[in-house]
Amino acid sequence: MKKEMMNILACPLCKGELVLNISSDEGEEVISGTLYCAACDEYYPIEKGIPNMLPPEMRD
Amino acid sequence: MAPISYRNAFVSIENDVYEPAEDSFLLADVAIDRISDGMKVLEMGVGSGFVSAVVAANKNVEPTGCDINPDALECAYKNGIQVFRSNLFGGLTKKAYFDVILFNPPYLPTSEEEKLEGWLNYAFDGGVEGRDIIATFFAEVSDYLKPGGSVLLFISSLTGRREVFDIMEREGFSAYVVAETRSFFEKLMVIECKHNC
Repeated sequence: MKKEMMNILACPLCKGELVLNISSDEGEEVISGTLYCAACDEYYPIEKGIPNMLPPEMRD
Repeated sequence: MAPISYRNAFVSIENDVYEPAEDSFLLADVAIDRISDGMKVLEMGVGSGFVSAVVAANKNVEPTGCDINPDALECAYKNGIQVFRSNLFGGLTKKAYFDVILFNPPYLPTSEEEKLEGWLNYAFDGGVEGRDIIATFFAEVSDYLKPGGSVLLFISSLTGRREVFDIMEREGFSAYVVAETRSFFEKLMVIECKHNC
């Protein structure tokens, strides 16, 4: 994901803002990391450039 | 599978991802007509990324896509589309950000016995009447569209045109068929919907 995708993503549980934590990136492209919702204390993983915004109970 | 070339776009298709067909081509054609440079575009149920890739190849637009199928997302990402995994609008902020939302939904009436194994079922299964996902989509979409923004929705006559229009009108949208073509045993159409603000 490009960092500017932060403009449109929200926590699927509370629709609140997320904090981006980057593990690896290439310029503007985040390859891996997490998106954190402080209100729900929940992490959403970013793997291979793709954020997984499914609520925890729907993940694989 | 060989890459598909269509209107300046080259799209690779992976296994377990919906292969672009007449519905995809019709929606892509309408999208190019209706989308202008600089617009913010979302493709719900992005699949292989085919429709978004055709838009990106012909307009100065970078569509964002989402899907629930992880195989589809990997495929769309390889095809150069920015994507995220989401159950419909679940992962999106309610900031009324988009000018156009494209959706080729799972629109086929599907009984329990007709369900497919695996993620690909999400590409087809519209519930018993074919309209379950469309109804949920229209109950939520207005939070994500800019004022004056529009939805371009593909459906088949098998989905029930009048019933789909009823859903849209109930949720406060005006709807028009903007493209229509006949296939073997169904009519394929793209409907443009705008919210009555």
